[in-house]
Amino acid sequence: MTRIINDFTLNIATANGTGSQSANLIILNSIFEMGVPVSGKNYFPSNISGLPTWYIIRVSDAGYQAPGNETNYRVIMNKDTWVDDIENAESGSVIIYNENVKLPIGRDDCTVFGMPMTKMARGINPKLSRLIANMYYVGALAHLLKIDENAILKAVTNQFAGKEKAIELNMRAIGEGREYAAENWLDEVGHQVEAREKDPNSFLIDGNEATALGSIYGGVNMLAWYPITPSSSLAEEVIRWLPKLRNGEDGGATCAVLQAEDELAAAGMVLGSNWAGGRGMTATSGPGISLMSEFIGLGYYAEIPGVFWDINRVGPSTGLPTRTQQGDLSMLYEASHGDTQHIVIIPGTVNECFEFGWKIFDVAERYQTPVFGFSDLDLGMNRWETSGFEYPSTKMDRGKVIRTQAQLDAIGNYGRYRDVDGDGICYRTLPGSGLEPILTRGSGRDEDGIYSEDPEDYVKHMARLKRKIDGARDELPAPIIREEENKQVGIIYYGSMENIIVEIDDMLESTGLSVSTCRVRALPYHSEVQQFIENHEQVIVLEINRDGQLFGILRKELPVNLLSKMYKVAYSDGLPPRAQIYSDLILKTMQKEVSV
Amino acid sequence: MSVIKLNVIDLEKTDYMGGKSSLCPGCGHDQVSNVIIQAAWENGIPPESIAKMSGIGCSSKTPAYFLGKSHGFNTVHGRMPSVSTGANLVNKDLSFIAVSGDGDTASIGIGQFIHAIRRNLNMVYIIENNGVYGLTKGQYSATVERGSKKKKGMPNEQPPIDLCAMAINLGCSFVARSFSGSKKQLTSLIRAAMSHKGMAIIDVISPCVTFSNNDESYRSYNYVKGNDEILHNVDYIPHYTPLAEVDIPEGKYDDIKMFDGSTLRLETVGSNHDPSDAVAALAAIHHATAKKKHVTGLLFFNPGIETTDEALGLTDTPLVDLSEEQLRPSAKSLELINQGFRSN
Repeated sequence: MTRIINDFTLNIATANGTGSQSANLIILNSIFEMGVPVSGKNYFPSNISGLPTWYIIRVSDAGYQAPGNETNYRVIMNKDTWVDDIENAESGSVIIYNENVKLPIGRDDCTVFGMPMTKMARGINPKLSRLIANMYYVGALAHLLKIDENAILKAVTNQFAGKEKAIELNMRAIGEGREYAAENWLDEVGHQVEAREKDPNSFLIDGNEATALGSIYGGVNMLAWYPITPSSSLAEEVIRWLPKLRNGEDGGATCAVLQAEDELAAAGMVLGSNWAGGRGMTATSGPGISLMSEFIGLGYYAEIPGVFWDINRVGPSTGLPTRTQQGDLSMLYEASHGDTQHIVIIPGTVNECFEFGWKIFDVAERYQTPVFGFSDLDLGMNRWETSGFEYPSTKMDRGKVIRTQAQLDAIGNYGRYRDVDGDGICYRTLPGSGLEPILTRGSGRDEDGIYSEDPEDYVKHMARLKRKIDGARDELPAPIIREEENKQVGIIYYGSMENIIVEIDDMLESTGLSVSTCRVRALPYHSEVQQFIENHEQVIVLEINRDGQLFGILRKELPVNLLSKMYKVAYSDGLPPRAQIYSDLILKTMQKEVSV
Repeated sequence: MSVIKLNVIDLEKTDYMGGKSSLCPGCGHDQVSNVIIQAAWENGIPPESIAKMSGIGCSSKTPAYFLGKSHGFNTVHGRMPSVSTGANLVNKDLSFIAVSGDGDTASIGIGQFIHAIRRNLNMVYIIENNGVYGLTKGQYSATVERGSKKKKGMPNEQPPIDLCAMAINLGCSFVARSFSGSKKQLTSLIRAAMSHKGMAIIDVISPCVTFSNNDESYRSYNYVKGNDEILHNVDYIPHYTPLAEVDIPEGKYDDIKMFDGSTLRLETVGSNHDPSDAVAALAAIHHATAKKKHVTGLLFFNPGIETTDEALGLTDTPLVDLSEEQLRPSAKSLELINQGFRSN
């Protein structure tokens, strides 16, 4: 059998709450330790214990991060999904199963390996057999894939850091699994792992932890949050890291963290803290943003900074709460009633999660408006590779805040909502300062902040807000553009689609289609995005949703003459995006275009 | 020649005034605004140290009419407590004086009201409670008594929510009820609330002169005046006035020490009310309600519980005053984080 090195997909089917996540991470981390490009995606249910969960590992020398089009190995542990898991196995693939689940396999067209995992685990520790059974498939895979023994030991040691007994028990189970496979499984397998030179700087981390760290380096001093998947771990990582990184001279906390009674209250706390001059943030998901939208409008209209992270999950409504999507973008951009327009910062890598995590506070204070960070479950909760975070390159920008009488005197004609610099951004004073106090309000007001229903005041105010946010376009993170020479087809995408863009590009290239790419990293979109569209004959907007939400935003704001060459390719099924699906859809869209 | 009167920090009363009220002439809320001005001035609170907070409704408009030298925030309907919480967390040195209404607090905002009490947010929370939604032209609110009737339409048939009883049950550290027409009592209670550390709730019955000041309304001026069951006479003695210089009342009295050193003197009227007794406070409310009366005075006082900012163990410097160096960890620390991840 031909050996195929570092190019396969592995699917592990277990039940939630059985400890399989530890086993899966040991496989992922040990392959990573061997210097082989690897990624893991957790397809988990909205449940704590008992419902099916799948863990997908992609190993790829080409660096492809998303689950591959074919699954080469399946580990089948869960009796509830047994029949489907076996039926889904591709002909010629390898099935590894727990023999103690007494259910039939019946796939002569596959290489089938059984092991009495539960029984063997009972031999080690009857009480913990349910958990330990998972380590037998780790051992089996270590044998089949040829995962290095030391890499496994290191992964296990890190997974159960400080728990010597657990390390010993699990290593024993892995060893037994490895031996059993070596002695009993004689058929050859094609796909294996081979060590590569490991970048000593690289490690795996999820986007939520990266964003949490970024927030701490951004000087967050008030975090109000309400638990919601998949954003909770962002807040929890801030809580975990804060005492290690930041304490006052008296040992007291330098960031107030409050679990709010709901998302409405969390948003109110963010606005209150920023109104008072703090750097307040919240982390939530789509349902939370729906609830926060009233306050978002207040923040926009009364010009209060605020940082709101949306870790997108599948909507509408409760939707698929543990699955991923880019379905909130248009809501974020225009959240709340009346005419609104919000700045949205969109990381596409864990490095950007960190970088935008600190930068977003500067943007919020500079533009005195609520700013959204837009991530999703795939980027937020799955582990992505990085070679390390970079320290903030600029000092904090606290925006136009008047802190002394001298500053106030220098302005002369101060009014809270008077645009003295001509950039749409006015100066503000803080409570406690005694400088030019006003009653901040969500109702109409004149340039001095005095209540007004005068049509002229309203029009002037709204026009200035538009000018202010428009003025941010080229100051926000610029798109990442890679242009082909022929400039025929350009693909615009954003966020976690970054995960599969290289693979999509290679797939299209193999059909003879060379595409340029442009990853949008902020809204309102940068002028370079428009140039990219102008430079290409056809432009596809690629998104993980149903309707093409960025496509809609672009269509609303671009010059009309550019619209006829714009196409949307939008698809979302809740799972992390797979390159083949989007590549096929792009080709289909292009063919339709050619045939028309 | 008249002598301009100054308070202990040498400010005139005009330094505590606000803009012209746009409420209906005779509105009870304007009386409350006047008392807030008087109380803040007499207590000698620097206007710049106050943050005026409100939600939405007639009552929530009033921060425009008092304390013009203080920053304020007229937020959204029912959500003032959360905005106050956020501001308090980053600047615990501000004195929060909030005004809300019965619609703003007892209906749309009841969740935030409850949680602000539960956390003992350090603020004065005044409810101007008239039993109707004034700004939308007189619909009943959730605090109005069953059988009470406004000027037009049918009597109210829904059972009421008693905000003071709810606050007492939640362990609120200061709970009082008063009447906009009882200027002396209200002034003493608001002054005491301003001297308190923690959540101080004052439910002020404040008649709506336009929609429910008729005799069939249990919240009309005449009805409240005739059915006010006072728990005690309250007298506030500021911390800057030595107690020894104050006349001693003829009858029985109890002194309550406030956080800032001032004293609230409760002079017994009829039977003695012990404000540290939550059961007695609830009994007083229920007995009055049964007789279709309004009990007023300091119902419940429970000092010494941690405020929101204290419970979080914040550093002593208000968080808004921390420097960039204190808010952004060092480059070295990030290098250590990277190294830690790499060695894992």
